[in-house]
Amino acid sequence: MAKPRDDQRIDLLQGTLDMLVLRTLQWGPQHGHGIGQAIRAQSDDLLRVETGSLYPALHRLEKRGWLKAEWGVSEANQRAKYYHLTAAGKAQLSRERDRWSQLVGAIGRIMNPAGSE
Amino acid sequence: MRPDDHDFDEEIRGHLAIGIQERIDRGFSPEAARLAALREFGYLPATRDEMRRVWHSRWLDAMSALGQDMRVALRSLRHAKGLVITVVITLALGIGANAAIFSVVRGVLLRPLVNRDEARLIYIRQSAPGLGADNLTFSVPEIADLKSRVTSLAAFGDFSTVSFTLIGIGEPRVIQAGVVGGSFFEVMGLRPVLGRLLTEGDDGPAAAGVAVLTHRFWTTSLNSDPAVIGKSITLGPRTATIVGVLEPSVPYPADTEIIANIVTSPHHLGATMVTGRTHRMTELFARLAPGATLEQARAELGSIHAAMVSAHPDSYSAKAGMQITATPLRDQITSPARTILLLLLAAAGVVFIIACSNVANLILARSVRREGELAVRAALGASRGALRRTLLAESLVLCGAGAVLGVILARPLVAIVASFAARFSVRALEVAVDGSVLWVGAGLAMAAAVVLAYVPRLPSTDGPASLAATGVRLTPATSRRLRLLATAQIALSFVLLAGAGMLVAALINLQAAGTGLEMRQVLALDVPAPLGEYGARVVDFYQELARRVGELPGVEAVAVGNFVPWRDAGSFGPAVPFAVEGYTPADGEESQRGRLRIVSPRFFDVLNVPLVAGRQFTEDDRRGSELVVIVSQTLAQRLFPNGEALNRKMWWTDPYFGKQPLPRRIVGIVADVDDENVVRAPAMMVYHPFQQLGVAGRVFVRTGGDPYALVPAVKRVVREMSPNQPVERPATLEDVRAEVLTPDRLNAFVISGFAGMALLISVVGVAGVLAFSVSARIREFGVRLAIGSSPRSLLVGVLSEGAVIVAIGVAAGAVGGYAFAGLAAAFLSQVQLPGALPLAAAAALMLGAAVLASLIPAARASRVDVLQALRSE
Repeated sequence: MAKPRDDQRIDLLQGTLDMLVLRTLQWGPQHGHGIGQAIRAQSDDLLRVETGSLYPALHRLEKRGWLKAEWGVSEANQRAKYYHLTAAGKAQLSRERDRWSQLVGAIGRIMNPAGSE
Repeated sequence: MRPDDHDFDEEIRGHLAIGIQERIDRGFSPEAARLAALREFGYLPATRDEMRRVWHSRWLDAMSALGQDMRVALRSLRHAKGLVITVVITLALGIGANAAIFSVVRGVLLRPLVNRDEARLIYIRQSAPGLGADNLTFSVPEIADLKSRVTSLAAFGDFSTVSFTLIGIGEPRVIQAGVVGGSFFEVMGLRPVLGRLLTEGDDGPAAAGVAVLTHRFWTTSLNSDPAVIGKSITLGPRTATIVGVLEPSVPYPADTEIIANIVTSPHHLGATMVTGRTHRMTELFARLAPGATLEQARAELGSIHAAMVSAHPDSYSAKAGMQITATPLRDQITSPARTILLLLLAAAGVVFIIACSNVANLILARSVRREGELAVRAALGASRGALRRTLLAESLVLCGAGAVLGVILARPLVAIVASFAARFSVRALEVAVDGSVLWVGAGLAMAAAVVLAYVPRLPSTDGPASLAATGVRLTPATSRRLRLLATAQIALSFVLLAGAGMLVAALINLQAAGTGLEMRQVLALDVPAPLGEYGARVVDFYQELARRVGELPGVEAVAVGNFVPWRDAGSFGPAVPFAVEGYTPADGEESQRGRLRIVSPRFFDVLNVPLVAGRQFTEDDRRGSELVVIVSQTLAQRLFPNGEALNRKMWWTDPYFGKQPLPRRIVGIVADVDDENVVRAPAMMVYHPFQQLGVAGRVFVRTGGDPYALVPAVKRVVREMSPNQPVERPATLEDVRAEVLTPDRLNAFVISGFAGMALLISVVGVAGVLAFSVSARIREFGVRLAIGSSPRSLLVGVLSEGAVIVAIGVAAGAVGGYAFAGLAAAFLSQVQLPGALPLAAAAALMLGAAVLASLIPAARASRVDVLQALRSE
């Protein structure tokens, strides 16, 4: 798998980072570094989350009650903060997923109007 | 749970550790792995800050830092007690004075009246600019004319003040009572706290006499006794039943004890009152009709009044130029106090500016001493914001303490200022310290603190030069700033001082002005005519009274009259027109007007008024004998410059004195006595013998001893003759005049207080600047002493530095003051410029005080220990 060149990387849309974080944590508790890596891997290296955005986002979500954090130990035996979804976080994820599909649908209809093809 | 700073650090460290381990696993060297992980992370503190920002708001951070700084400030200020005391007291004076004045201004000028819907309540005034009469009030026929035609006013209320002898509540005494029509309380929008108020049902000559007590009278004199309702009282010749108590409200137009219906006053039912168009004694209030504006009402009143004037040319002379005006009641009530209160507010503001600039000077001096400390902090990476915050914390502590003390001070100050303002507006009686004082105090302190924090300049962060500073270094720029502020204080204080000097000079002039009367040994008393006695019986009463009082030990002479000089001023209306045989007014000249006075024989002896020509009144000038008068010298000379006034006949031409003129022969001419004005002016006086008019009410007793010692004896004599007879307001003429001068004295006193405060603060400021400049130049003085300067020359040098500051300040104050007065004169007619004498006195006082205060730092300069000074750096 060839790495995409830098100019092929996509800047995250405002607000989508929160959704991606919630989605990533659906598979289970993870620390900040792991979340960043997961998003990168899942997007085939297209999306790279800056730590400068990721950590404030994690704390923002925690403050709103969608995530909960606990200190734990990583596979390599390092102390790290593990985040997991709360019930409210799961509800929020499904709301964001709906909104996202609506958005994608709407943008798709604008970019490819029915009948123009 | 909210994560703390440690959590953020740990989390970041964990992230980096995982990243490094991952790279080592992929084959990086540990060093390369560390660098790569760090590079990937980006700027670490920024991320950490962002994480913090999620949990802590920026504002909270700033506040906690400021709190930290304030604790530091408290600790460091503990070592500068002198500074703290000076700053706190200076600010407390400035803030306290402002808070007090502001409370009074708010209470008197801004607060709405309690009257229902007070914005639609107006006061109607009739004036005659041509006669110099501001407020003529209205006559009953005039009110009837207005009532019947005006449509923009929904209802009228009328109020007139009458003196009654009140029997039935407390001691028999003469009171001022309001006499009102039934619509008065409805128009005023006032409610009773007990019983009922007067209504239309109480109007007319057939109604029963009823009266309402004012709240003040009920609470202060009657202990709020509810049993007073239904009580019967005697008001002069009539009786009335007390039916209610009025709610607390501004007593306007007169502060009376009771308010009664028309029927209680026989005068109000008489022909003079009901039909006399020029018999004006009623004040008029009205409520705007729904939808009508004040402008509409003014216009309508103006045109109806003009029509009324042209319909009755005999009652309205063209020269009088009668006018009608309508003002909202609140403006009418507050207008006398407005000028003086705004003046006080300005004075308090100036004192506050002086206080602030003085404190700024002290803080500036302190910050120069701290320059080294601030420079070190700047070099260690403290941002300019952090340094500012340090300064702000310190000035907040200082100003906060000043504000607390100022607000405590404000309470007694409000009492003083309110009692002062009560001379001008009855509303001031209700003023109390309220929450607004706290807000004003806090606001002023905050303003001062912020200003003060920005006065000192921060050390420049470029280069280590500023770090080298060890002792106190006074740069020319700082020195200029200090001097500039001190000069500004002197200039402002000088303006206040000159203003106070002007008032004091005017007061001294007033007090020293001659009156042409015996002042100290004459006791004046109010003894109204006994109830139900008229004409000859009244004359008998006063003659017997004078005879019996004259027999008391120590009494030299007794006279009766109708007018206590100055105290009764204005109560007998404007001067009355008259004519004299042999004197023809020039074409278009208004007829002469004189003041009608009634006196007994010996009146002029008792008051020591010299007889210029002719004779005095005697016991033979009685009812039935030839009608005679005595006139004042000015009247005689103005009408007959060649001195032929004696034995001519004069008569009053006002219709009030009857259609047929009653000629009276001028039998005497006496020296002028101006009994209306405290500043003596030529007076047109016409004295009548009291036996011919049968009216008196005032008794004058001349004694060789202490006049007040006679009061009980005189009271006893009067009570023996008539048990229910009031005897009131005994006072020597000197004290009567002093009482009339009280507002002037209070004006001078309060403004002088402000000026004194300003003087003190600014002189301390000058001394402070000198002290600082001396302490910064210790080494210089040491060198000068070492090379042979005399201590004396150093002392004179420092003193002259102070004198220069004051001289420049005084000059700037004089120029600025005149410019401001010129500006103010364009808007206010009453602005006067001080004469040369008070100005010079103020300048001399300023200079003297400043030189005295400069002596302390100057003495210090002259006593510098040479060796120590040279070793000090």
